[in-house]
Amino acid sequence: MLVVATVSFVLIRLAPGDPASVIAGPYASADDIGRLQTALGLDQPLPVQLVKWYGRLARGDLGDSIFLRRPVLEAIYERLEPTLLLTGWAMLIAVLVGVPVGVVSARHHNSFLDQSFMALALIGLSVPNFLLGLLMILCFGVWLGWLPVAGYVALEGGLWPNVRSLIMPALALGLVQSALIARITRSSMLDVLREQYILSGRSKGLTERTVVYKHALKNAIIPTLTVIGITFALLIGGAVVIETVFNIPGLGRLMLRRDYPVVQGVVLLIALTYTAINLLVDLAYLAIDPRIRFR
Amino acid sequence: MKPLASLLLALVAALALAAAPVSAQDTPRMGGVLKAAMIGEPPSLDIHWTTAVIVQQITWHIYETLYTYDKNLAPVPMLAESHAVADGGRRYTITLRKGVKFHNGKEMSSADVVPSLQRWGKMATSGKALWKTVEAVEAKDPYTVVIHLKEPSGSLLYGLGGPNNAAAIYPKEVIAAAGEGQIKEFIGTGPYRFVEHKPDRHIKVARFKDYAARTDSPDGGYGGRRVAYADEILFIPVPDEAVRLAGVETGEYHYAQSIKADQYDRVKTLPALEPGVVKPYGWITAVPNHKQGVMANKKIRQAFLAALDMEPIMAAGIGNKAFYRVDGALFFPEQPNFHSQAGVTGYNQKNAARAKALLAEAGYKGEAVRWITTKEYDWMYNTALVAKQQMEAAGFTVDLQVLDWATLVQRRNKPELYEIFSTGFTLGADPALATSIQCNWPGWWCQEEKERVLTEMLRETDPKKRKAQIERIQAIFYEDVGRVKLGDYFTFQVTRKDLRGFRSSPYVHFWNAWLAR
Repeated sequence: MLVVATVSFVLIRLAPGDPASVIAGPYASADDIGRLQTALGLDQPLPVQLVKWYGRLARGDLGDSIFLRRPVLEAIYERLEPTLLLTGWAMLIAVLVGVPVGVVSARHHNSFLDQSFMALALIGLSVPNFLLGLLMILCFGVWLGWLPVAGYVALEGGLWPNVRSLIMPALALGLVQSALIARITRSSMLDVLREQYILSGRSKGLTERTVVYKHALKNAIIPTLTVIGITFALLIGGAVVIETVFNIPGLGRLMLRRDYPVVQGVVLLIALTYTAINLLVDLAYLAIDPRIRFR
Repeated sequence: MKPLASLLLALVAALALAAAPVSAQDTPRMGGVLKAAMIGEPPSLDIHWTTAVIVQQITWHIYETLYTYDKNLAPVPMLAESHAVADGGRRYTITLRKGVKFHNGKEMSSADVVPSLQRWGKMATSGKALWKTVEAVEAKDPYTVVIHLKEPSGSLLYGLGGPNNAAAIYPKEVIAAAGEGQIKEFIGTGPYRFVEHKPDRHIKVARFKDYAARTDSPDGGYGGRRVAYADEILFIPVPDEAVRLAGVETGEYHYAQSIKADQYDRVKTLPALEPGVVKPYGWITAVPNHKQGVMANKKIRQAFLAALDMEPIMAAGIGNKAFYRVDGALFFPEQPNFHSQAGVTGYNQKNAARAKALLAEAGYKGEAVRWITTKEYDWMYNTALVAKQQMEAAGFTVDLQVLDWATLVQRRNKPELYEIFSTGFTLGADPALATSIQCNWPGWWCQEEKERVLTEMLRETDPKKRKAQIERIQAIFYEDVGRVKLGDYFTFQVTRKDLRGFRSSPYVHFWNAWLAR
């Protein structure tokens, strides 16, 4: 975490453009920008700023946002709901679409169905999520008028309006990831289906359903779980883009301003969550695969 | 006479009947929530602090200034009632309007105006430039403010009326509470009062019931009576251009700003939408580096200017003809007080032979001309690309470097890093303060005679004499090639047809506009 904190601190300061010049605007003179830098404490040497930040971190204080004029933790807390719901739905879509498509493709290996699914998955992997999002806006928002083109309705505004505002963004984010999950599930299922114990299951008269879903899937799901863990990181990266396209006031949008304390805080939070998810994935291995438990 | 009279009467009646449905439809009505899709979030809501255009566009519905601009972009009173100039142009006595209330219910007086102007003069970029000539500001009585100047100023009223980084009048308590920082409460005297700011969701303003509107009718500019017809305005940050347009098409927004010009022909065919050309907006410019490198040589700058054919450059940069104009004047035709073609001699020469001759005279040996530009504003890159080809045809060696905008802004301050950079200069009402002709700005065009005329223009109050000074500066601009103006460009905004009374203008505003049922 200390490494993440330091790297995020240094990287954002290496990027051109700083909060002072954003606040001062395009026609401000160098003096005005300098005055703002002093006011914001950005004129101090980097190591001094870094040590100060460590000091605050040690006390659990992420500092104050420059643009939002409030504590970073408060700003993050306000943005959690949209991002959690968006990535949650997207993850659900990715898994609910990806895993069954992978299983069905493997079961009907080399059939027309398999090839069409895999062609779709290839397209899904190649299409950037923002493009998918814009196409959806054009189709479901502008032409058909079924869904709002952008914007977010908070949960307190009602469950259905909330879900409605997240359908397109979650699909744009989740479908792209489902392609990855589908491909991994398929190849790992194919490997498992060639195993001896599958053959023996079949020969002792088990139904195809039991063979595939009870014996094969349980063994094939391990690599998929790993990918689901990775997917989370991709989802967070994608959320920055999707939140911008669909105008959702989430954590991703917070990262787009040169608001140093906020960006650092969000990066830390993401790193922490990512670690936690990886831990959960490892624990899930234990639950699913007894071999790992007994090793 | 009788038949004629009855004929006239019939004609009048017919005209009235024909006009009736239109006028009923166009009668302003109160009510509704106006939704405006903006390009992003304002970095601050303290207009003294920032020159960011989006802050001005939003906050000038909340705050007002002593002066504003009329349709010719000349200053007219807003919170001021009138003024008198004495002492050879060194003393301005400004009478304030009575009964103007702040959104906190308090009446505005000179006790608020004096600290507001002082803070603006200390903090704002334009305020500081102007304050060099200000000796003191004092409150003579609750409705009279006196500004003492060190020397006469032709720029004072322009500065006090400028919408960008404006000299907004805040209540004195708000200024005291802010100390050296930004204001914490957003209170003004404007037709709309601040309600809430939910970052990345919206800024909500609502009609101010006790708004003291001016009694003179709107003048086609920004002066005169302002009426808040909409109950509320939501300024919604929508960073993606395609989403702004989609939202205004589906009716989720009433207004979308900064739409790509290539959508213009399609939008024109959509019955619910009204395309708007924001004209004038700015000029596209290539800024040569006068401090060091080959462009410090005047002959080479002249060769650069001689080589260019502006029509293909502007066509590549903007595309649709409705959004650009090939014109070399330093001020726009829409600013009749300052627009002139006098001295615009070197613009659009398309003369590669002359450029070659000038390069030979200058002893140019094919040194690389580093032109830094950006794709973040595609018109900057596209114009630079075509200009590069034209320059190369004339014998230049051009190294076009594409950077992100933030890096470009950083690098343009370092004279060792480039020979030319791309930029745009947006409309400025006061010619003496126009960034395009200042010396202390990247590119460092500091020509002796130009500086002298510019200083004279700062002091000059007679518009006729100012115009003559502009013509002189224009002639120097083209002879010395201070910057290379490529052409005027306009931006595109789209409104829904049910937003009535809205006028596309350089400074977007929603007072006097209403939502039809």
